[in-house]
Amino acid sequence: MRRLTLPLLALLTLTLLAGAAGAQPKEPIKIGLAAAVSGGSAASGEAIKRGIQIALDEINARGGLLGGRKLELVIRDDEGNPAKGVTIARELVEREKVAVVFGGLHTTVALAQVPVWQELRTPYMGAWAAGTNITRNGGSPNYVFRVSANDDLVDRYLSRYATEVMKKGKPGLLLENTAWGQSNEAGLGKWLGERNIKPVGIEKFNWNDPDMSPQLLRLKGAGADHVILVANAPEGAQVVKSRAKIGWEVPMISHWGISGGRFAELTGELSDGVVFLQTYSFFGPQGERGQAVLKALAGKYGVKGPEDVIAPVGTANAYDGMHLVALALEQAGGTDGPKLREALENLKAEYRGLIKTYRRPFTAEQHDALTDEDYIMVVWKGGKIVPVSAK
Amino acid sequence: MLVQLLVSGLALGSMYGLVALGYHMTWVTSRTMNFSQGHAVMGGAVVAYALRVGLGWPFPLAVLGTLVALAALGAVVERVAVRPFFLGGSPAWLLSTIALGIIAENAAMLTFGKDARAFPSPLTQKPILVGGAGFYPQEVLIPLVGLALMALVQLLYHRSAWGKQLKAVAWNAEVAGLMGINVPRAVMAAYALSAVLAGVAGVLLAPLLNVAPTMGTIIGLKAFAVAIIGGLGSAPGIVVAGLGYGLVESFVAGYLSTGAREIVGFALVIAVLIVRPWGIGGARPARRV
Repeated sequence: MRRLTLPLLALLTLTLLAGAAGAQPKEPIKIGLAAAVSGGSAASGEAIKRGIQIALDEINARGGLLGGRKLELVIRDDEGNPAKGVTIARELVEREKVAVVFGGLHTTVALAQVPVWQELRTPYMGAWAAGTNITRNGGSPNYVFRVSANDDLVDRYLSRYATEVMKKGKPGLLLENTAWGQSNEAGLGKWLGERNIKPVGIEKFNWNDPDMSPQLLRLKGAGADHVILVANAPEGAQVVKSRAKIGWEVPMISHWGISGGRFAELTGELSDGVVFLQTYSFFGPQGERGQAVLKALAGKYGVKGPEDVIAPVGTANAYDGMHLVALALEQAGGTDGPKLREALENLKAEYRGLIKTYRRPFTAEQHDALTDEDYIMVVWKGGKIVPVSAK
Repeated sequence: MLVQLLVSGLALGSMYGLVALGYHMTWVTSRTMNFSQGHAVMGGAVVAYALRVGLGWPFPLAVLGTLVALAALGAVVERVAVRPFFLGGSPAWLLSTIALGIIAENAAMLTFGKDARAFPSPLTQKPILVGGAGFYPQEVLIPLVGLALMALVQLLYHRSAWGKQLKAVAWNAEVAGLMGINVPRAVMAAYALSAVLAGVAGVLLAPLLNVAPTMGTIIGLKAFAVAIIGGLGSAPGIVVAGLGYGLVESFVAGYLSTGAREIVGFALVIAVLIVRPWGIGGARPARRV
């Protein structure tokens, strides 16, 4: 016991010192971002960074938060690797003392980090990864929040869209052979099952597969009248090319993976008519927020127009997420983790955001600010994303 | 469906064969090879993309430029990663060529970017439809060019003076050197040719597979499997093994499942290694009693 006394005392002193430092009025409030900013999904990390940064600039221009404290973004790369994700999660909280951490694209990384947020009592704001169990993690209190899609709700939305809007009844599923594909296989099975529909075929493909025509031919042979696709941009592009190759003009609806990367460039006009889900689209008439964000994107990142916005959902989700966090910081009156979580769950102020107007976006049980009511369907047309009118 | 699988299988298979022939060329001349042949495939696609799309060169000129660049690349690989170790008899070339490949891949990521890009070709615009399935004209062109090139390489090798030099070095480097053949230069030429073959595969595959820094790794690995199955020392064996491997892959993916494709393919490699370790085209090594 005695051996522990000295280190404990030292630790206590350090904590007090750190606490004292934190009490200084003009010290910046640090916001963390733990996302893939390198590798194949780098575009998603960049998009999220832009969304947070634009919101930060707006808030700082207004004079900051909590009596004039400016916000500052600290970025760490998770490399799409869960182990790395856990390391940087700890580093951001323990060393950088961030108030809140935003997360990136990979469901696997986000799931691995959940216990860290709970243990360190630091709020996490998901801006992309859609895995159902990230927010529905069974933790109480739960420090994991999200302004993004949720696979389970996405699958419900896609099932409804296929049956009610497209009036189709024989789905063929085409999924990537990963944990993400698996979670959607379960979700689609569940929600299609509610409508007494059984997929006529379930086909998988691996990353970097060159040719998807065997899978498509099997779905065609099974009598599918539409294909539900869960893929990222490179593989999604090969699917669309293979579809053209076998001359099968089957309606295709897709999860949002194909909106990252260079899907339009890879497929050209072959992707015309492929419908997919988004939380926001910079195409079409924009509200005040939309115009402001596009202007900031142009000024800061040289984005020429909506077709130039990389991975748009990342930017939109992160932008709204950051403003919600800012409101919660004001309401909590400080950066203390538990207080911030409580403020997020009981947000009093209304926020007229980019994606929608948020009124009490989170509760103790509901940690997804967006639901399938907020999703929109968009369609590729001539390499551009055009909104589909029907919900 | 059958026609489509046949065409796709022959297209990919001929490319495996072409890349594998690159392993064969340097192996017979120097008992070394470039373990990053796959990266030379990527190099071909990336350089062709840069010249054709980036600089807007006309297609034939872009292809010519790519081949010259790849020949130079092959020569550099030999000079930097192989020759320093080759003469000392050290197997370090194994690691150094892999290292060069990783450098090449990362250099491509820095300059070209990490995303896959489309390589436009008039031969992948409209598919030819046959009985509920189809293929692109490019997929017919690929095996034709591939087989023609393989034949040309064999012709060069057996008929030209230059080929005879290579052959002499392959047979006995020391004696060839004594006979006045510049052995290092012959080995360098074999490396240049081997990189050009891989580069051609890259250019041909680019419109089908998209261009990306990581596109070559798997092709290089499968081509190596093909070289082993066919017999490293036997060009005809490699050609047959390449086409066979492509067809097996295509039919397994078409009739079983894509998940089973790599399992069957690489199980085949192990089976051949057990039954015929010298490859289907190779000669059984003499056994010393």
